[in-house]
Amino acid sequence: MSTTRGTGPDMASDIEERLRAALMARAELVRPEDLSPLAPVDDVRRRSRSPWVLLVAAAAVLLVLGVVRLVGDGAPRERLAPDPKDPQIVLPDDVGRDWKVADLSTPAELDLDGDGRREKVEFLAEPTKQLDGRIRLQTTLSSTGAETHGIAELGSTIGTTALEPVDADDDGDQELVLWYDDVSAVGGGGHPLVFDLRDGLLVQAVAEEPDLLVRGNVPVPGSSTEHYEMVRIHDYWVEDGQLFSSRSARAFPAGNMTLMRPETIVMDRWRWTLGEDGVLRASDPECVRSGLESLVPCGAQELDEVPYVTSVADTIGTGEAAEFTEGYRFTAGIEAIADPRVVVQVSDSLTITHGLEVADPRISTVQPMSIFSDGASLLVTSASDPTWLQVLVQDGDRLRALEPAGEIELENRGDVRTWLTQEGALVTVVAAEDDTWHAWQWMLVSRTEMAALPTGPVCFDDVDDPSTARSC
Amino acid sequence: MEPAVDITELYAAHWLSLVRMAVLLVDDMASAEDVVQDAFAALARRPEAVRDPSRALAYLRVSVVNTARSALRRRRTARAYSPPHDLSPPSPEDSAVLAEEHRAVIAALHTLAPRQREVLVLRYWSHLSESEIARTLEISQGTVKSTASRALVALEKALQPTSVKEER
Repeated sequence: MSTTRGTGPDMASDIEERLRAALMARAELVRPEDLSPLAPVDDVRRRSRSPWVLLVAAAAVLLVLGVVRLVGDGAPRERLAPDPKDPQIVLPDDVGRDWKVADLSTPAELDLDGDGRREKVEFLAEPTKQLDGRIRLQTTLSSTGAETHGIAELGSTIGTTALEPVDADDDGDQELVLWYDDVSAVGGGGHPLVFDLRDGLLVQAVAEEPDLLVRGNVPVPGSSTEHYEMVRIHDYWVEDGQLFSSRSARAFPAGNMTLMRPETIVMDRWRWTLGEDGVLRASDPECVRSGLESLVPCGAQELDEVPYVTSVADTIGTGEAAEFTEGYRFTAGIEAIADPRVVVQVSDSLTITHGLEVADPRISTVQPMSIFSDGASLLVTSASDPTWLQVLVQDGDRLRALEPAGEIELENRGDVRTWLTQEGALVTVVAAEDDTWHAWQWMLVSRTEMAALPTGPVCFDDVDDPSTARSC
Repeated sequence: MEPAVDITELYAAHWLSLVRMAVLLVDDMASAEDVVQDAFAALARRPEAVRDPSRALAYLRVSVVNTARSALRRRRTARAYSPPHDLSPPSPEDSAVLAEEHRAVIAALHTLAPRQREVLVLRYWSHLSESEIARTLEISQGTVKSTASRALVALEKALQPTSVKEER
């Protein structure tokens, strides 16, 4: 008996074969001799200090001292935004005229001065051993022939390129957008840097609410538990010459290198505008629904996608066997010569037998892959005792029962229901108030333990029939 | 503190395969090398992030996918909302040596949404299991499965007009 619908990599279809062949052919066009010489390992180490920290620190010092900032030519320049209540912009030092063009960088082309002709902005890298120096942005303005420059800290001087330019102040010229990309952050991270031509210089704008202008999964303070923390999903992007950012309305659990989120989520979206004082301010939030390939305005009563809780996997009983072809391949059946036992055949040379200490055992014909898929795994239940549940996973040449850990119990009774979906997710729903249930999904958290992570509220027309799940 | 992983050794062992993976994701050699360089830079900066050397490749893979996505995001306004025929073709040197059939498939692959492309590359080129893909992309295994399934359908659809055109 097969338990899958034929989407596994081994059930090759024509399109899969064509794809495999094309990927291999394309990848093999990259030959060792095509690769650029490698940078020494030490040269790719970079400072992790955020440029925001540096700028804010610099601004704070200047604010306290109440001084004017000196630029490199010795001429004093006054701060452009004198209101101490607002975030402060800092004029760039005139340094780095002798720096070299940054490695792998691509000059930006945009109309900085609004004369209809594009300037070509070059990126010069401050030479440092760790390739973590500043970047000098410089160009000659097409309208006046004057040189202009700015200074950026992007964390790395390798591969400086710009995003599409924006006109965040709607003044007809364009602002340069670079970005600080924190590739070490799980799920990606970082923020954009916007440079505006002000007073003949490329001056970095500061965000009034910088926490809203970031990318990545940002932990919700105080939400951390032993096995996960709740995060909100942030993003930013340029669209039609405007800078936008978004944040998920709900927080999602992240742990063990897994983020549990539905495919479509409700987000707050902001458009950022640049004020006369050089400060980026967020518009009022607009509700949008974000999918894998789309971003559309919310409907009248926008709800998050229902947590994945349907549909329920089939089971087999004594004397039956199932073939597991999705993911790790094996066959399993229940035998009852004397005491019931599950027999798993992994290969011709490996058959595992495991005694079941329960009457009328059943095994699901889908692996609980949300928990374990790097070996045989089974959900065992009992026809005579619906409250009894056990997850068995392969540990070498034996099966081991995983111990539930974390905030909820692995139960199936009354106000706590547990089942395995046909997609291999072991879910538990716990009754709350107003006919609402809170859904959880189990995952492996250590070699011997599994814990459930909260996946959101769900309502049922009939909880005994999970296919009736709906948004609340 | 001595790093838990030997980055020089990782360079030697995985540089080529990671660049190959990256080129399938971003479709140009310069960006691909850039992406992998950034991944190694991140690891060099935080070697303590990977205490178990056996997990270093998985860490680098996550970094490469994330950085490739960032690289593509730079082109988002041009790429994400453009019809497939507006997408940049492979470079001339690639076109010269990549068979017509493969070129059509690769072009179709790059019309897919980034995550669909990532899932297909990790599954059919990197040969990762669903759980490994889920960990790499930080999505559930159910999403891996549904994304792969939809991606194959989308890929097939994207190839159909091309095939018809070629037959004419």
